[in-house]
Amino acid sequence: MSEDFSDNKTIQAQSSETISGGGSGITPDMDYVRPAEVGEQDLYHGHSFITKWIFCQDAKVIGVQYFLLATFTGIIGLILSWLMRLQLGFPGLAPFMTAEHYYQFVTMHGMIMVVYFLTALFLGGFGNYLIPLMVGARDMVFPYLNMVSFWSFFVAVAVLLASFFVPGGPTGSGWTLYPPQAILEGTPGSGWGIMLMCISLILFVAGFTMGGLNYLITVLQARTRGMTLMRMPLTVWGIFTATVLAMLAFPALLVGALMMSLDNVLGTSFFMPTILKAGEVLEYGGGSPILFQHLFWFFGHPEVYIVALPAFGIISDLISVHARKNIFGYRMMVWAIVGIGALSFFVWAHHMYVSGMNPWFGFFFATTTLIIAVPTAMKVYNWILTLWRGNIRLNTVMLWCLGFIVTFVNGGITGIFLGNVSVDVPLSDTYFVIAHFHMVMGIAPLMVIMGAVYHWFPLVAGRFLDEKLGKWHFWLTFLGAYSIYFPMHYLGFIGVPRRYFEMYDSPYVASAVGMNEFISLAAFIVGAAQFILIYNIIKTLKTGKPAGHNPWQACSLEWLTPTVPPEHGNWGDRLPTVHRWAYDYSVPGAKEDFITQTTPPSEVAHTKVEKT
Amino acid sequence: MSDIKIEGYEFKPGFKGMAKDTGSDQTMFKGVHWGKAMMWIFLLSDTFIFSCFLISYMKGRGSTIIDWPNPSEVFGLHVFGVDVPLLLIAIMTFVLITSSGTMALAVKYGYEKNKKMCGWLILATAIGGLTFVGMQAFEWGKLIHEGVRPWENPFGAPQFGSFFFMITGFHGTHVSIGVIFLFIYAYKTFAGHYDEGKRGWFTTMKGDYVEIEILGLYWHFVDLVWVFIFAFFYLW
Amino acid sequence: MDKTKKQEQTSTHKIGIYLWIWGLLFVLSFFSYMVDWYQFQGMLRWSLILFFMFLKAGLIMAFFMHLYWERYALVNVLLWPMTAIACFIFLMVAEFEYTVFTRFFYFVVGG
Repeated sequence: MSEDFSDNKTIQAQSSETISGGGSGITPDMDYVRPAEVGEQDLYHGHSFITKWIFCQDAKVIGVQYFLLATFTGIIGLILSWLMRLQLGFPGLAPFMTAEHYYQFVTMHGMIMVVYFLTALFLGGFGNYLIPLMVGARDMVFPYLNMVSFWSFFVAVAVLLASFFVPGGPTGSGWTLYPPQAILEGTPGSGWGIMLMCISLILFVAGFTMGGLNYLITVLQARTRGMTLMRMPLTVWGIFTATVLAMLAFPALLVGALMMSLDNVLGTSFFMPTILKAGEVLEYGGGSPILFQHLFWFFGHPEVYIVALPAFGIISDLISVHARKNIFGYRMMVWAIVGIGALSFFVWAHHMYVSGMNPWFGFFFATTTLIIAVPTAMKVYNWILTLWRGNIRLNTVMLWCLGFIVTFVNGGITGIFLGNVSVDVPLSDTYFVIAHFHMVMGIAPLMVIMGAVYHWFPLVAGRFLDEKLGKWHFWLTFLGAYSIYFPMHYLGFIGVPRRYFEMYDSPYVASAVGMNEFISLAAFIVGAAQFILIYNIIKTLKTGKPAGHNPWQACSLEWLTPTVPPEHGNWGDRLPTVHRWAYDYSVPGAKEDFITQTTPPSEVAHTKVEKT
Repeated sequence: MSDIKIEGYEFKPGFKGMAKDTGSDQTMFKGVHWGKAMMWIFLLSDTFIFSCFLISYMKGRGSTIIDWPNPSEVFGLHVFGVDVPLLLIAIMTFVLITSSGTMALAVKYGYEKNKKMCGWLILATAIGGLTFVGMQAFEWGKLIHEGVRPWENPFGAPQFGSFFFMITGFHGTHVSIGVIFLFIYAYKTFAGHYDEGKRGWFTTMKGDYVEIEILGLYWHFVDLVWVFIFAFFYLW
Repeated sequence: MDKTKKQEQTSTHKIGIYLWIWGLLFVLSFFSYMVDWYQFQGMLRWSLILFFMFLKAGLIMAFFMHLYWERYALVNVLLWPMTAIACFIFLMVAEFEYTVFTRFFYFVVGG
């Protein structure tokens, strides 16, 4: 065992159950925490610029690298959405927008936003930065692998973006990449584009597996003394469970991408049925296109929760800190996260109600889908009950949190519509679906990301972001996002189909024309509003108000590092020892309205703090 | 393994022990090395990859209306004037199980710090793996010679060739990667890197005999996958 | 990472157990080969193949991969996710039956 903890060896445990003392009154062993099981981590300290900032093995730097690269791809996705809205709102205004380009932009926008932006940002960015700090580890357990993980992601993004410059351009088969049309002539990018997309996805999965193993083992095997699973902040729970989902769901995507590459390059017929094209039978035959859909959605539905669960976790922490109240029903929240994660593997085919699968499946999948609404609703109730009679600080972070709850409830309710087969069938492939999933897994997680950026920026950079700019950013985004997606529900109800390049003169959707123009204008404004954040960050890095130590008066470990921002190794000479959960806010009798996780019980023996 | 001791922590058996381990601080898998835990989780993920391959194979084979070739005949060999069904596959299975056994012994001798035995056994495992890959190459060559291609198949459904080459190819890739690592580890064992705790070339982590167990897990997993491929692809 | 509080691994398992399992694996492989040799068909073939397969897989996991000696926390984490795979297999069986039904219906009977 490391010498760092030798002073604890003299204290004897009364029973092996003791993790941390409890009960009333001060007893000699109440601050006892079991000695460390695992010795000090052997860290590689880089000294040159390259080992410190580029091929860096420090999880915090890797987290920021992930964040920046994911944001960069996200901005590309944003620009693509502008181009799409330009076409939809004002057809013919931009002559370069052909139907082919439109489909390519739809595809790339979807894939970038879901996989390369949200997944990479939540798990790669926030996961890398926060997991070691929040569980009290010095770094991720395999720093070298972690570095390789980021650079695989980098190469994956490079390959993805390279597809814009190959003959035929990127693939235009929709982000779901359904065969057979994805690799048949006539679909844009059916040769090079889809190939590069598959390669890029395979690289992403490989890179993510390396990162994911790190997150899992760090959470499971490298927590600090006293940190039980049920004392972890919900952020860690969310990211952890999402990583489990990713480790088990990405294999299906990998297999699907590999088989489709073979169909494309070697001419195998895994997914390709017998096809008549202009009266001629193609070489393909006997394959099963629906198999790809099953593989894709066996990945795709957990993927929704890979994005949502970290958002759930982070929002719980932000609400608790800024409402100065413990999170309501912590254990329920944990079990809800785990339950949603487990259930998410049994609901995938609700994306395929109209695909021609076995008709009995609708029965099974509608049931499981509606069951998953239960833990999700529990979480929403608990967020609201956390706010209830809290000492709310109505700052930018809290605004994003409130915005998230509203948006998420909105998107969740439309999800209940779509989970029922009989309601889904007429609404399938309309703008209602677009509105639903953008609300629930586009805007809602984005709000969490924004809230998290405003919340943790003082930790990463040591300075507060500007509040005034932040409020402008929030209100423009929130009202703007509603202006975009609320009317889309109506468009869906009147039957405007999604993925149509132009509606031409369809008399039954005459009322959609003005609405599309309005939506497009709102989309331009909301997109532009995001650059307020970038301006804010650049400005704050130079002139922002220094944050100092634990500026939000939070309990969790990441704010308790000896230096702000934390250095490589996080904790200076000795690791922190944890005595309680991360949510002891406004404890009656305590001197301040928060008790940090490292405060020993003897210091707060006369307060009404509960044993956690 | 069973006889770990941790200061201030009392082990309980069975599900009670599971609840207690899960509820305790620091680690959930008590006494399990980080690298070993990582390999287990990786193998779980890899299991999902192979499961998806085999499920796709099941779906593909089940929904084709052209007859599937009889694997017993396709993979048969004509030896000394007799047709023996699945002969090569039986030998391949034999070789892979043999190498799995030598690997298990290598892990045991590694923990006993018996450098020589451990090194030779790893080398034997590597040679077994190499033999397996060689025989697989022979089998591929035979089938290709007979006209089976990923996109067509003279004996029946074209998906037979597609799935055969893809699944055995993916498994063969795993074996080949394993063989490369086995040779590296054999060198490292003989050179005494695990006795001295010499740092790895890339990861800068100190060497330890537990790494042999980690590699062993991977190697047994490759064998495990073969058990399933053997049953579903060759016997079904 | 290197200094994991290494319990001295003094008592590794006896060599006999590995040899036993090794032998059993050979025997079981031989049996599953015999299933093909004697050309059993139908449900008998199926159940024998699956039985030998699971037995072999179980032996490898339990003894060669030491899962039998691991604590339940690890064992359960590894085995529970297989329910997702089981569900996937179950549903894909239903799916291929439906696909082959539609193919026969439209291409052979109806066509």
